[in-house]
Amino acid sequence: MSTHSHDEAAGTSRIGRPLETTVAALALRLARAVGPRLGNPVLDRLSQVFARRHPRAAEALAELPASTVLVDPVDLPSGLLLRLGPGGLRLRLCDAVDASADAVVRGRFGALLDLAAGRIDGDALFFRRDLTIAGDTALVVALRNALDGEDIDLLIEIDAAAGPIGRFGPEARRHAARLAETLGGLRSALLRPEARRLDALERRVARVESREP
Amino acid sequence: MSAPQLTLGPLLFNWPLAAWRDFYARIADEAPVDTVHLGEIVCSKRAPFFADHLPDVIERLTAAGKRVLLSTPILVTTDKERAAVRDLLAMEGVAFEANDTGALLHLAGRPHAVGPYVNVYNEGTLAWLAARGATSVTLPAELPESSVRAIAAAAAPLGVAVEVQVFGRIPLAISARCYHARSHGLHKDGCQFVCGEDADGLPVDTLDGEPFLAVNGLQTLSRRYLTLAGRLDALRSLGVSRFRLSPHTVNMVEVARLFRAVLDGTLSGADADARVAERVGEAGITNGFLLDRPGADWVGTVHP
Amino acid sequence: MAHFELICPAGTPAALRAAVDAGADAVYCGFRDATNARNFPGLNFSVREMAEGIAYAHGRGCKLFIAINTYPTAGSPGPWHQAVDQAASLGADAVILADFGLLDYAARRHPRLKLHLSVQASAANADAVTLYRDVFGVRRVVLPRVLTVPDIARLTAETGVETEVFVFGGLCPMAEGRCSLSSYATGQSPNRQGVCSPASHVRYEPRGATLVSRLGDFTINRFEDGEAAGYPTLCKGRFVARGQASYLFEEPTSLNAIALLPELKAAGVRALKIEGRQRGKAYIAAVVGAYRQALDSFDRTGRAEVPQLADVIEGRRDTTGAYTRGWR
Repeated sequence: MSTHSHDEAAGTSRIGRPLETTVAALALRLARAVGPRLGNPVLDRLSQVFARRHPRAAEALAELPASTVLVDPVDLPSGLLLRLGPGGLRLRLCDAVDASADAVVRGRFGALLDLAAGRIDGDALFFRRDLTIAGDTALVVALRNALDGEDIDLLIEIDAAAGPIGRFGPEARRHAARLAETLGGLRSALLRPEARRLDALERRVARVESREP
Repeated sequence: MSAPQLTLGPLLFNWPLAAWRDFYARIADEAPVDTVHLGEIVCSKRAPFFADHLPDVIERLTAAGKRVLLSTPILVTTDKERAAVRDLLAMEGVAFEANDTGALLHLAGRPHAVGPYVNVYNEGTLAWLAARGATSVTLPAELPESSVRAIAAAAAPLGVAVEVQVFGRIPLAISARCYHARSHGLHKDGCQFVCGEDADGLPVDTLDGEPFLAVNGLQTLSRRYLTLAGRLDALRSLGVSRFRLSPHTVNMVEVARLFRAVLDGTLSGADADARVAERVGEAGITNGFLLDRPGADWVGTVHP
Repeated sequence: MAHFELICPAGTPAALRAAVDAGADAVYCGFRDATNARNFPGLNFSVREMAEGIAYAHGRGCKLFIAINTYPTAGSPGPWHQAVDQAASLGADAVILADFGLLDYAARRHPRLKLHLSVQASAANADAVTLYRDVFGVRRVVLPRVLTVPDIARLTAETGVETEVFVFGGLCPMAEGRCSLSSYATGQSPNRQGVCSPASHVRYEPRGATLVSRLGDFTINRFEDGEAAGYPTLCKGRFVARGQASYLFEEPTSLNAIALLPELKAAGVRALKIEGRQRGKAYIAAVVGAYRQALDSFDRTGRAEVPQLADVIEGRRDTTGAYTRGWR
């Protein structure tokens, strides 16, 4: 009964989940490809959206001591560094191999997203050894508990954060039209999940990746 | 403040009958303790071996001027065990120490001691127990000094004496499952009394080979020996008047003399702790709980 | 005879909604401080969240119990008294208490507040339960996980107090509320701080392909590559005794007593409790849903059908624990 009923319990359709994983992975790849100058504002927007939509969790994370948690999807090239504590949640892309953090959570990207969205129990992942934890265990537990207390829908969060590129300020706007197009593609993929569109999007992200940021 | 007293807690381990009798004879004759607790409190399966000899030992100790208390079992689950507690509490001419809530039911309204296995964590519980006839409480091992202070302050006006264990392995847990039997691949039923093989408990190490715990049948104890000789003055100033020594195979007469000497001011606490550390050897010593640290810690000048 | 009442854990408002929606008859939770025995970072309820939780549960015919089941700190009982007062004024259906002093306070101050005895009080026999019943008016006792089903049957019949037993989740092999193993290694205990083997003192160290778990200064387990892991609680650790490394106290395993429903019914048990206020809402939804289904089917057929919950449980193995005598 496990995976299936977990999905149903959290109200995510069986189609929605692989889509979400693909889109989120593409978003991460895109953010990496465009470099910090453009990627960081997007990630900051994501934190702001999170704080607005989930004040309980945001407050809990802000109450923690200033600290960092590295989320390392083993099947993706970059990791995500979460800054916690006073000032609230802040996200940064990082090179998972080089990054130093107070705690590290490592697992397949899909499993990490399941965990973030509360679709699967972190303890269960850990028991199955699908998740490894290093460093400050209390920090990871606090993060997990804060996120699990929310009804998080990553598609909506990403959609809200990715928004029209015009909102990103002059520096971002100077970037290639191709990027705007790609972000737009991400958004449409969220709205109309079709395999064809995802493939096209994937190709587009790959083109951005191949360009010097 | 009343004169400080030394108490010998109940023997926790399964010693052969002869060793058990010799031990209490020696305590009666030589150990400078005021009170001695008797009674099998860990495993009801062991009790029948000693029951017939209990009156003799009580008499011997009483004749030597010791106050004798019978301690009730820590964990009582079966009707047979309940009946045994009721029988024990029916004995005349002796005082009792309750170690579970069931015993408290039977002792209500008459003077009794409350043992360290009853959770007395605060002054509210202490006052409630006092109102039901408790005249002394021995505090749970994990309480820090700040708790001891607050409880002792509340105990004084109620006329309740506060006691603290100051020597011996620390009782950490009790279970319905026998870990001694389990370590031998046996069950509790059909245990073959393998707990009798380890007079101070079965040593338990971590996977790294570090000494950690000691198993005594259903009970789990610290591997390290608690020694609070260096803290006796502090405890007395908090209002603690009784100090409990928990029996082991080390020379308990010597241990009692060490602690008595510290109470009398003829030996420094640090010196007494050092002597204890020598006697218990590689098992090590601890005083962490009282100092609000992990119970396994030792804080002091003496090397553990 | 009445149906079993299904009592479900909630560590967050989201988990509470998941439990209620999945068919809990009652949810138990705690305030966000040391007054409850699952005082983990990021968990539990503010007063406002508790009020909302009660409204959500009551609106769907579900009860809410508040666990205030640590032992008040000597010299500062204020937070515990306040928690009891708040539970009463919020309209909780019961408070779950362990400490004599706190029971005394609650019984005097709030004579209409229903008192349940926490498993942390370790009332393991009829005499103990009788005392809590007669002195404090305790209506229900959560029994320690050290009793056999026949023990439970006799206790229930003799005392007439409602009995609630754990049927699923983490399994304490030790008598609850009487265990200082955690504080021996970390300085923090279930009774005082409401934590057992706290995450702040747990470290996982990869050593090659093996994973070593440490609690405080002590190594408590080592998992080979691919071997199912357990909670880093001391009693589920692997230790060496008599020259042999083994799970000396308990395997990393989870209690599942669903196969014993007929026996528990015959024993007169009133309520079945699921452990896991520290678990995620996915776990709550899965386990509560499975138990709801099993209980409904049991009501119809008198038979217990065992659902597959292997994916969510510790060590991916389960046990009926002390309820069957062989465990001892």
